[in-house]
Amino acid sequence: MTALAGRTLAGNSWLHRRNPTVKFAVVFVVSAVMLAVFDPWTPTVLYVLAVAGVRLGSRIPWGTLLTAHVPFVLFSFSLLTVNAVARPGEVMWQWGPFDITDEGLLVGGSLAIRTLVIGVGAIGFVLTTDGTRLMVSLHQHLRLSARLTYAVLAGYRLLEQLPVEWQTIRMAQAVRRSGHRPGTLPRSPRPLLRAAFALLVTAVRRGERMSIALETRGLGDGPRTVYRPVPLDRQDAVLVAVVLGAVTVVLALAATVGWLEGPSALGVF
Amino acid sequence: MPDPLAVAVDGLTVRFPRSTRPALVDVDLRLRAGERLLLMGPSGSGKSTLLRVLAGIVPQTVAAHLAGSALVDGHDVTTTPLPELSARVATLTQNPLDQLCLPVVVDELAFALENRRVEPAEIGQRVQTTAERLGIGHLLSRRTAALSGGEGQRVALAAALVADPEVLLLDEPTALLDPAGVALVGRAVSAADRRVGADGGRRTMVLVEHRLDELPWLPERLALLGADGSVEIDGPTTDVFWERGKDLVAAGAWLPFDVELSALTGFRPDASGSEVSRALGAPAGGSGSTPGGEVRMRASSATVQRGGRPVVEGVDLMLRAGETTAVVGPNGSGKTTLLLGLAGLLPARGVTGGSVGMIFQHPEHQFLTRSVRDEVAYGLEHDDSAVEHALGLFGLDEVAGADPFRLSGGQQRRLSLAAVTALDRDVVLADEPTFGQDRRTWQAVAGALEGLARSGRALVLATHDLRLAARLADRVVVMDGGRVVASGDTESVLGDHELLAGVGLPPPPLLRWWRSTGLAVRPLLAALDTVPA
Repeated sequence: MTALAGRTLAGNSWLHRRNPTVKFAVVFVVSAVMLAVFDPWTPTVLYVLAVAGVRLGSRIPWGTLLTAHVPFVLFSFSLLTVNAVARPGEVMWQWGPFDITDEGLLVGGSLAIRTLVIGVGAIGFVLTTDGTRLMVSLHQHLRLSARLTYAVLAGYRLLEQLPVEWQTIRMAQAVRRSGHRPGTLPRSPRPLLRAAFALLVTAVRRGERMSIALETRGLGDGPRTVYRPVPLDRQDAVLVAVVLGAVTVVLALAATVGWLEGPSALGVF
Repeated sequence: MPDPLAVAVDGLTVRFPRSTRPALVDVDLRLRAGERLLLMGPSGSGKSTLLRVLAGIVPQTVAAHLAGSALVDGHDVTTTPLPELSARVATLTQNPLDQLCLPVVVDELAFALENRRVEPAEIGQRVQTTAERLGIGHLLSRRTAALSGGEGQRVALAAALVADPEVLLLDEPTALLDPAGVALVGRAVSAADRRVGADGGRRTMVLVEHRLDELPWLPERLALLGADGSVEIDGPTTDVFWERGKDLVAAGAWLPFDVELSALTGFRPDASGSEVSRALGAPAGGSGSTPGGEVRMRASSATVQRGGRPVVEGVDLMLRAGETTAVVGPNGSGKTTLLLGLAGLLPARGVTGGSVGMIFQHPEHQFLTRSVRDEVAYGLEHDDSAVEHALGLFGLDEVAGADPFRLSGGQQRRLSLAAVTALDRDVVLADEPTFGQDRRTWQAVAGALEGLARSGRALVLATHDLRLAARLADRVVVMDGGRVVASGDTESVLGDHELLAGVGLPPPPLLRWWRSTGLAVRPLLAALDTVPA
């Protein structure tokens, strides 16, 4: 559940201790590189390496790592099937009314595995990165404005409270309906819409009050100090070197063997 | 050299856009450094507005038209940028959820110092000192989301005080807390009494607060804002209490009980029961409780689950038509969970009975329509006369066309009562129906609840307001840790002060006085409520 809710996993692994901005940048760069790879084999090798790297670096339990994969696997699978049946090319076999093509399988497979590579990166990032530390680090290392970073943090606190508030509102409204059946809450659109409106009103008001609370404690655009600065050290450079080095080597090898395909594999360029 | 003025307000008039009358009119207020003020006034008299002007929020963040001047420590609060002003004035409001913005307590405390560019090494030291002074040293590494209400308020107070402001503004800081929480926050506020800088001088404070009996100290000076938004009374608290008590009661304010009793009856709490009873016309004997009608709902060793786990267990209740049951206990004792179980909103076993209406703690959570009239009419079929009757009964005629979300807190509470009254439910459950209310609204709510029971509903109140329980209940059930620890008729339970103190509900002076008079509690309190102010 923790993994699905996108919450940080408590821990003090090597990846936990890395600088959030650096981690974010590494995941971002790898994801961007993956956008240009269109064969299924290169991403497969990278995926295997990424899983091994994340597992070794973060000590996230296999079970959690697997559960966190669920949304990415579902998305991958849909990419694979849509491409396999919808992409024109040499028909490999027929499945009901659908023609499954060779090109479709290759491109779909590539997109699917690419999704998993990006997914593993995202999982490794989210599960080892505390939201506050990320914001402090973005402010500290990328000079993101304090107003923005603290607004995001306050917004996160607001989001944390919404599930409880939503449940209370739905109960509070349900009890006023004459047809209320014990032990159930209405799920039809109208009641949900009414509950959503009440939730919106309370959230907006709370948001206003939180922004006032930040302002009256002195949040401004001027320079400020950071009590618990996020360290940036040599080990972060190691992270960058290892990940980017591995990606470069894999891409180079894939190109030599003849696996590597660029966007031309789509057949539109 | 004369004492410097910490607060200097001169001829301050504040008018909000789209509002028909000004929120504050020609207010003069001067506080010397270290002076502490109790700010009173009926709801809508502009107490919060005055605090928000002093904090620089009005008009800098919330638009308003201002005339006159307001200075804090010599700085014009209407023009000094908030980040600069924040070094001089800090605010604590009702709800920790509105004030705690960071995931971990220690960051929350460091925040104000970081904004003032204090060196990290010094921040650590000041955070630690402040936390220890306020008794929250053990909370520093906790996640803010995991704090209880009382802990959250103390963290919010520490976060406000860590920068050592000259002026502290407290806007009903205990409204959402149970008695144990009030005591802790009250002690924390007095621990913050002295400044770190300025040679350890007194901190200037302005306090808006209803629960004066429960605070360990009171400000030395008192100002009353009139309904029109101007200062009506300003003087030493004790003098104003004993000389102008009647005016304060007339303004709807709560007073310490001995002051209230004296203002209403002329008696001190040590007066004999027969004297008081003669003066109030209260019957000396009889419990004053109404004999209950048929059973409308029954709980037999009832269990209520939350998130798949039993949170409330082994509750036996018999709810009869016309009878009022108060469920009392500290926060987290399972009162709300029990009510949700009785209402069929949480999975419960062992509960049988008729139709249920419920009033939630925050009225905003229950509104289903976009006008007050529709809200009262909800669930009624074309019964316009019943709607008009309910609107009139709860004083909502004037706002019948307004959006429920735009009403004041007191109006919202009356609306939720009107809506549940209009529906014909066998059982009505009310969760903390009186929190944060001034005396006048409290009396209106208590009267409405009494009316519900008189009309034949079985009424259940979940509350830590023991005065409400004493005023309305026929039976009292005491809960602690998800279980019933005592139950019986109102007088025997509320008369057992060791029992109440044992579950974190120390009996208020009112109950101690009642026990000393030997009179019946309900008629006595009803008589006190009918004394014209």
